[in-house]
Amino acid sequence: MARSRTYLLIVSVIIFILLITAFVFFQYNAYLLMSLVIIACIMIPFFARFELKKIKGREVVILAILAAIAAIGRVPFAGLPSVQPTSFVIIVTGLVFGSESGFIVGAVAAIVSNIFLGQGPWTPWQMFAWGMMGMSAGLLRNIWFMRKVWGQCIFGFIWGYLFGWLMNLWIVTSNIENFTWEFFVSIYVSSIYHDLAHALSNVFFLVVFSVSWVKIMNHFKRKYGLLEG
Amino acid sequence: MENGYRSYHPYVQFLYYLCVSILAMYFNHPLFLIIACILMVFVNISHDGGRALRKWGLVLIVMSMIIIVLNPFLVSRGTNILFYFRDKQVTLEATIYGITMSLSLVIVLIMFVSFNLVLNGNRFLFIFSKVLPRTAFLIMLAIRFVPLLNRRLEEIGMVHRIRGMSMTEGSIRERAKIGMLRIQLLLTLSLEEAIQTADSMKARGYGIGKKSSYIPYKMEKRDWGWLLTLVLLFLICIVGGSLGYGKIQIYPELGTLHFFLLDWILFVCMISIFSFPLIAEGREKLRWIYLK
Repeated sequence: MARSRTYLLIVSVIIFILLITAFVFFQYNAYLLMSLVIIACIMIPFFARFELKKIKGREVVILAILAAIAAIGRVPFAGLPSVQPTSFVIIVTGLVFGSESGFIVGAVAAIVSNIFLGQGPWTPWQMFAWGMMGMSAGLLRNIWFMRKVWGQCIFGFIWGYLFGWLMNLWIVTSNIENFTWEFFVSIYVSSIYHDLAHALSNVFFLVVFSVSWVKIMNHFKRKYGLLEG
Repeated sequence: MENGYRSYHPYVQFLYYLCVSILAMYFNHPLFLIIACILMVFVNISHDGGRALRKWGLVLIVMSMIIIVLNPFLVSRGTNILFYFRDKQVTLEATIYGITMSLSLVIVLIMFVSFNLVLNGNRFLFIFSKVLPRTAFLIMLAIRFVPLLNRRLEEIGMVHRIRGMSMTEGSIRERAKIGMLRIQLLLTLSLEEAIQTADSMKARGYGIGKKSSYIPYKMEKRDWGWLLTLVLLFLICIVGGSLGYGKIQIYPELGTLHFFLLDWILFVCMISIFSFPLIAEGREKLRWIYLK
């Protein structure tokens, strides 16, 4: 279990660095295309692990229902712009069921919600961003500050911004030949408020609901012996 | 029974979209991109008369206008200076780049409109079910849960409304809290039932052998024919593009827009790839007319 966790961490970090360096150093034209290919390559190890792991039918169904809840969570919040509980559900899943489940639920939630909202070049980026959110929550779950609500809140706040920044990258990478810092800054400045709303809603949900959600999921985990490790 | 382009095998359709999106980002000759864009619009019209595209029309036009107008002002690379704006040079190169980039992006987005129409639900999953069977199964389950959970949410919402907990009034804090409470109720309600679903799956033998599935798609002769044709044309385009045809040099100085012989060949290849759905639909129409 410990080995698989370090493996995940190392693979994701290395490939993410490769992604960045590839953009900076290589003279290449189709950046958006290349970024999508690299994103796909980053996610392959995770999906491969999920495919090859021994996993019970119950666990597959639980993951599916969590991903569906994360995807559908946007519905009751349709009237509240940029407040959506998807990130919260993914973080809590990572906290309770571990990094691999967190990644799978995040990535699948992105696909499922986009099947209804429309796929686009942003789908792989969303899969990656939400997948990483779930994975990092799972990786950090045994560290002392993630057991405290305030630690989770800081985590959720940071991810509110990280998510927005990762999603901005798809606009930046489709336009990198033209890259100027002004352009870069203008995109990131224009998303500040949206990201802030995302970050604050994460914090709000984590403050009010993380204890009860963790309790509910832990109860199921222990009762049925699901997804341990 | 579906006919025309929609009746082709999902693999062929997926390959088509793959080729289109790659080529749209690969070539940057304005004429290539303009023709490709027009063809994609026609492809969308052939699906449903352009209804889905119309919803996107305004967004696409505004977005491409913003890119075209903003790019020359944000980027001052290039040698041919058109004029100065606040001491910054506005160059021809940056303008052309803005145009080609917005065209590429628009083609990809129009392609996704068509993609969402044709490769929806089952077809989309079928493609991945061979490579990632368990992930595809998981996604399929999740998609199946969505309408169910939606119905549950409505029920929970009705109960809440009777108890005076409304999502439409009150401060954002309260509304967010009530919304989340509904989702929490949904969670407790659904997790227990997920276990039941899983148990009934197990009772029917899930996990014992390889999962078999009903596959309503079969590769026919014409599917193979188109598959090979698309691959061949795509390879020609990629090889030609790597030699520099179908592309123009933009920075630091705008290259020539002149079409060489090989450019024409690539142009024809690209047009044939892009108009695959149109050819498929047109063939069907012609056959219908002559059989009558």
